[in-house]
Amino acid sequence: MNTAAIKNPSWFKKIGLTLLLLTHVFAFSLVTSNADAHDATKIPRLANGKPDFSGIWQTTSAADYDLEPHSNRKDAPPGPGIVEGGEIPYLPKALEQRKKNFENRATDDPALKGFTLGVPRGIYYPEPFQIFQRARDLNIVHQFGHSVRTIHTNNTEHPEDPNDWWLGDSRGKWEGDTLVVDVKHFNDKTWLDRSGNFHSDALQVVERWKFLDPNTIEYKATLTDAQVFSKPWNISVILHRHREKNFQLIEDYRYTLDYDQYYPPKPDKK
Amino acid sequence: MDSNLGKRQHAFCNLMLSALMSASLVSVAADENTTSPAQEKKPAAKPVETAPPAQTRRPREKSFPTIASGEWTGPKLSDGQPDVSGFWSNTIGNHGNLTDPQGGVIGEARRTPLGPREQRAPSRVSDPTDGQFPFQPWALAKVKEFQVGFHNPTYPGHVEPNARCAPGGVPKSLYWHGYDILQYPGYVVFVFDNGSRIIHLDESKPHLPEKLKLWNGDSRGHWEGNTLVVDVSNHNGKALFGRSGEFISENATIKEKYIFANDGSRYNYVGTFTDPTVYTRPFTITIPAIKYTRAEETDGWNLEARWAKHAGKTQILEHDERICHENNGGFGIGSAQR
Repeated sequence: MNTAAIKNPSWFKKIGLTLLLLTHVFAFSLVTSNADAHDATKIPRLANGKPDFSGIWQTTSAADYDLEPHSNRKDAPPGPGIVEGGEIPYLPKALEQRKKNFENRATDDPALKGFTLGVPRGIYYPEPFQIFQRARDLNIVHQFGHSVRTIHTNNTEHPEDPNDWWLGDSRGKWEGDTLVVDVKHFNDKTWLDRSGNFHSDALQVVERWKFLDPNTIEYKATLTDAQVFSKPWNISVILHRHREKNFQLIEDYRYTLDYDQYYPPKPDKK
Repeated sequence: MDSNLGKRQHAFCNLMLSALMSASLVSVAADENTTSPAQEKKPAAKPVETAPPAQTRRPREKSFPTIASGEWTGPKLSDGQPDVSGFWSNTIGNHGNLTDPQGGVIGEARRTPLGPREQRAPSRVSDPTDGQFPFQPWALAKVKEFQVGFHNPTYPGHVEPNARCAPGGVPKSLYWHGYDILQYPGYVVFVFDNGSRIIHLDESKPHLPEKLKLWNGDSRGHWEGNTLVVDVSNHNGKALFGRSGEFISENATIKEKYIFANDGSRYNYVGTFTDPTVYTRPFTITIPAIKYTRAEETDGWNLEARWAKHAGKTQILEHDERICHENNGGFGIGSAQR
């Protein structure tokens, strides 16, 4: 080091000033380049420190029309699909069934009867759902059918004598700020989208829920079903928080529409 | 038996339908206060795989305590709400008969004669004090028509909407199967076997536009000590109050009080209904309810829960998904279209 620097106080001051400026520039660059990290500290959290997904969420993707890449058609907008790698790895026999489902989709989609959408379809179906969360569980109320799914986060396990459920049995664990949910014990009555992608009662879904920022959730899921697919496959969608003023779920029990007109009694027409 | 929870619910939905279709079954179902769950399951369309051990329901109450609105001294949640979360069910009877809840369904043959009226629980109508609904003449005629048609439907409107798994609406959901009360900052959520109801505790949030009509209405509420006070609008009036056919129109408004005992074991629902389209004056319905906390009390009606599997020592009560419509058997128009 040049000893003059020490002997000359004004030079020393200059270096000090430069260092100070550099420090500021560096600090500023940290703030700007790490905006994501900065936001991550602000995601909503429960009192126990876990991310709090409470709120009303919805995807803007066209996933429910068809999980796989598809051109536009009369009953669907075009979409790149949300399947990692593009195609669902159907077993040959299952692929035949999927083709039949597609041909009959205008009548056979269980959602047309207002049936509970199942997992993961309820998450990317184009109607909002609300997450109510506390330490022991998350309860998801889907506007469609107003069905309620519970994800247990209290270290409980899948039951020993399970039923086949429409929504499966969901047990969640936290991996850092990611909620990982193991869902199984499904029935085979739901579809994965309105184009006829389907599963059997051997379906297992592992979901990963993670905040990208306080108003955006990245939702990923791995689907395994040895009766229908040749290997596990992955999907990913982004869920947006509804921030419209006074936005709320509006019950949608559409399965009642066929007989709505008969109730309540009305005065006879004269 | 736990694996059959969903199937049992399914079975019961089918029973409801079967009961409507068959006079002999109706007479069995009629006396709901003496009918055991086993008897009710007998006509189920699908046999239950492993017969659950016969469970005894808590006896129906013939009277119940008044609970005064006042201070809440019990445990509170972090947001200050009284902690009333858990599994609840009504104590005096189901949906068979509103004005004589333990008197069986109107117009049904009984196996045993009814004793004096004062030996049974009071009318759910607590005001007017005569226990009767203050119907306008045209509406009373419609109710009487339903009470006949219920046993031999000649018009789709004679079928109880609940038998088609329609939501029970307000207030019937509270004397149908047992239900779950969930609480979160800003919300109280009721999860029923047929549908769910979200009560918004933020009263600065306006009600939905009047044109929107909903089975469970649109609810805003707040806590006053031990009492959850709720204002219900946007009700579609379609659910009917029960098998005795009473109803409100889509113009009704409802002011509800859920008054909780400070030991957390029970509450009384006191709902005042105002509906100039159907009634001559407002009336009040009172529904007593108790909390269920033990899986051993699972009885196929008030509670259908089990102890969760886990390594810890505390017992955790959990309930399966509540599904009705999807598992329901065919009936009437719905089945024809399915």
